[in-house]
Amino acid sequence: MQVFKLCMKIARKNMPLMMIYLVVFLVVSLVMTSSLAGEQKVEEPFTRVKSKMAFINEENSPLVEGLREELSKIAEFVELPDETEALQDALFFRKVTYILRVPEGFTGKFMSGEDVQLEKTIIPDSAGNVYIDLSIDKYLNAARLYIKNIGGITQESLVSRLQEDFSLSAPVKMQAPAGRQKDQSYARFFFNYMAYSLLSILILGITAIMLVFNDKGLRMRNACSPVNATSINVQFMLAGAVLTVAAWMIMVMCCLFFNLENALSINTVYFILNSFVFALCGSSLSFLIGNLAKSQDVASAVCNVVTLGFSFISGVFVPQEYLAELVLKIASFTPSYWFVRANNKIGEMTKFDLSSLMEVFSDMLVQVAFAVAFLGIALVAGKKRRYLE
Amino acid sequence: MVVKVENLVKRYGDIVAADHLSFSVEEGEVFGLLGPNGSGKTTAINCILSLLKYDSGTIEIFGRPARPDDYDIKRDIGIVMQNVAVYKELTVYENIDYFCGLYIHGKNERKRLVEEAIEFTGLADFRRFYPRKLSGGLLRRLNIACGIAHKPKLVIMDEPTVAIDPQSRNKILEGILELNRQGATIIYTTHYMEEVEQICSRIMIMDRGRAIAIGTKEELKQMISLGEKITVETFGITHSQADALRALPNIVSVECKDRMLVIKSSKGRNNLEAVLECMKTHNIQYGRIYSELPTLNDVFLEITGKDLRDQGV
Repeated sequence: MQVFKLCMKIARKNMPLMMIYLVVFLVVSLVMTSSLAGEQKVEEPFTRVKSKMAFINEENSPLVEGLREELSKIAEFVELPDETEALQDALFFRKVTYILRVPEGFTGKFMSGEDVQLEKTIIPDSAGNVYIDLSIDKYLNAARLYIKNIGGITQESLVSRLQEDFSLSAPVKMQAPAGRQKDQSYARFFFNYMAYSLLSILILGITAIMLVFNDKGLRMRNACSPVNATSINVQFMLAGAVLTVAAWMIMVMCCLFFNLENALSINTVYFILNSFVFALCGSSLSFLIGNLAKSQDVASAVCNVVTLGFSFISGVFVPQEYLAELVLKIASFTPSYWFVRANNKIGEMTKFDLSSLMEVFSDMLVQVAFAVAFLGIALVAGKKRRYLE
Repeated sequence: MVVKVENLVKRYGDIVAADHLSFSVEEGEVFGLLGPNGSGKTTAINCILSLLKYDSGTIEIFGRPARPDDYDIKRDIGIVMQNVAVYKELTVYENIDYFCGLYIHGKNERKRLVEEAIEFTGLADFRRFYPRKLSGGLLRRLNIACGIAHKPKLVIMDEPTVAIDPQSRNKILEGILELNRQGATIIYTTHYMEEVEQICSRIMIMDRGRAIAIGTKEELKQMISLGEKITVETFGITHSQADALRALPNIVSVECKDRMLVIKSSKGRNNLEAVLECMKTHNIQYGRIYSELPTLNDVFLEITGKDLRDQGV
């Protein structure tokens, strides 16, 4: 295992360079952890807000009082003088969004089944006003139903029945609380960031070994030894695999450490699986760069261009939803794009059925295709290079 | 017979790097391959080591056909490349240990051999040094240590003394002779004729992929007509004085260039006295004077019409 040991020694010699990217990852992670920790606690799944409305009543009746009571559940009443200018000012300055006027004689006509209407003045395009409209319609329609079907029903009895009806509620259980979604987006950030840091570490580590083994003199010297070429290649590949797995495991552990709350979720399993596929793709890309680069300086430059370039256009530093369609189209020719895309899908997953998983697996499959393509090109490039030498 | 090459032909497109090359190396020899750059020495070595595929011919090492996958043969061969081929990430000790480890699996035996190689090449004080900290001469010595640490029966050295100072060169040449005394057969390629004259028991002179002469240095010198070369510093010579020198027995040429008179004789090694006598008789003023026996450069010059020195680096 001389060759394997040698590869490990070379990797160790290049450890300081690789550590830079791990430290960058850790620092960014720490900053993210501290800035996002506060935000997570105040997030609630749903907060009920009440619209502000003015309720101008030109007659006092149990029916109208019942309506007011029902509306008080969804609206906050603001007392305003019954003057046109004051009411218009209140709407303009958004003191209220809805003014409801109950005209005189409304109750009598309503109880006798005549067609009557309430008067409303509103700010257009307000979602809260639609909710108030629906509540008023619901109250009056239910009242009409009772009046039509129970002859001679009194206002008190009618209001009592309506109150009883509207007091009933159905329990609602949130299947996917928004708080959890927030946590996954947090994990998603760490795993997405691996597209930069893990790829950098792999390119630097593997190209360092490749450059040594591509040296013509050393290659010839090894070829003159009694160790057969297959054994040398196997030991070399084993070293590359060990380096890849070690770098991947360290990065995954960092991701889990900074996101301990979700470390045991099912999403995390898929995040880890996706990152492993990406690590394979990264090592394959490193193999290609190692075959093309002629010196460590060139390899470092290529490493920076590739990792930063991929990361900027693929949604590692800037989320994909903020990137232009053209940029994303270009990014789709990089494995980082598919890695980030799969992470985003995993982060949003609440159901883990086959159809949901297939979308993630298809993105992983694209990464595998990239890995195979890089490996194929690397082998051809390596052979051509040796031929030219 | 340690190495036997017969009718080796290797072409790079239109260029014939080895042109029906045939030679053999006996056990215990220091066999020199002498030739200018591009004469096919490295090509021949690479073919012997199965690093290159050749067009035709046969190569046998230790009586067996040389094949890239004959690892038993490779175990007994040590190679010292023309360019220093060591790992800059490893120290002197680690480099020798790595290359020795490719041949020797026993940890203790390997340790002993590495120590011996370090001692042999005089690198004991530099064992923890990285190659980038070593001078050119020390690097060459490390290159040799990596090639011979496993105590091979056959050592192939491809120009191991290129671009190093005379002290380091002498140290390396002494080391090669010591290796030979310890029982190793050595094939040594170079374009420095002084080196082959100093260490090689047999020499093959190469040019344009062909072996133009093989033999001991004495045998090679016997092949040419030149017997002695006398160089005289003069202060002017007339045609008649030159003609008088030419008239002497065995003298084949008299040339004067930059106040240096070069007199070449075809036979004999004692023409100096006659030349001095003639110069006195014809009043030729002279300063320094010295006599040389033919060198391998003269052999190369006479056979190819080219100067070996002019072809070198």
